[in-house]
Amino acid sequence: MTSDHAAARPSTAPIVASVRIAAPHDVVFGYFTEPALITKWLAQTATLDARPGGVLDIDVAGNPVRGEFLEVDAPHRVVFTWGVEGEAGMPPGSTTVEVTLAADGEDTVVTLTHRGLTGDFRRSHEAGWNRRLTALAPVAAQR
Amino acid sequence: MNPDGAAVVNENAAVMPASDEPRGPAAPDAVLRALADPHRREIVRLVRNAEMPAGQIAANFDLTQQAVSQHLMVLKRAGLLEERRHGTRRLYRFRPASLEPVRELLDEFWPDALERLKGVVERDHPRKSPRKGTK
Repeated sequence: MTSDHAAARPSTAPIVASVRIAAPHDVVFGYFTEPALITKWLAQTATLDARPGGVLDIDVAGNPVRGEFLEVDAPHRVVFTWGVEGEAGMPPGSTTVEVTLAADGEDTVVTLTHRGLTGDFRRSHEAGWNRRLTALAPVAAQR
Repeated sequence: MNPDGAAVVNENAAVMPASDEPRGPAAPDAVLRALADPHRREIVRLVRNAEMPAGQIAANFDLTQQAVSQHLMVLKRAGLLEERRHGTRRLYRFRPASLEPVRELLDEFWPDALERLKGVVERDHPRKSPRKGTK
């Protein structure tokens, strides 16, 4: 396969991840919106203003992730933008993270979808690898 | 320094033998190490859409040609760049396929994070008697 063909793969397909947590969704929700809680599992430092238009500034493994809350529907759903300051491949505003919390009995099923923001498919497609490159930095840092 | 780039960069020592043959996906570790350097990431950006001679790549950096050559060697060995010789020139282009194994790693970022979230929440809010074996 040539490089050109490889580039045509669906690299911008959203990343979807899900987990079942043995706690009610109103408890789990706070772990996405409260600095003291988000720093327990995702970020080292956090400034969060969990309302539409509010800032989301978190440090993830040394990466200054900058975003903005788009939707905050406690305790069901929260959507925010996700980008890395100073990183041309994934600037702030360039990707979106959608989190839904579904109550299932006493548990919560968290489903997270991380997708590119741009509606221009071709552009986002070309930038796809670049975003990957940036987004993997936290992965690399944790290894 | 060794113009063949054999002495390249320590971190890259374990990668793989130098070869001009296109190869299958490199180990994610090699790709990640290669991309851990901002200059090398910039090189990849430069050649991602167009093949470019080494000299032209070097002209974009405030680095010695030799330093750029070393970076190119690291990227090539990681499978990120493809090298082609044209006369005395060496031309480089990006190999998108090289990011496939890394894509798999990236795909693990959110699942890993959510697993941590689960652990933290369930530790912070223990149930007296786990009923449904949902752990």
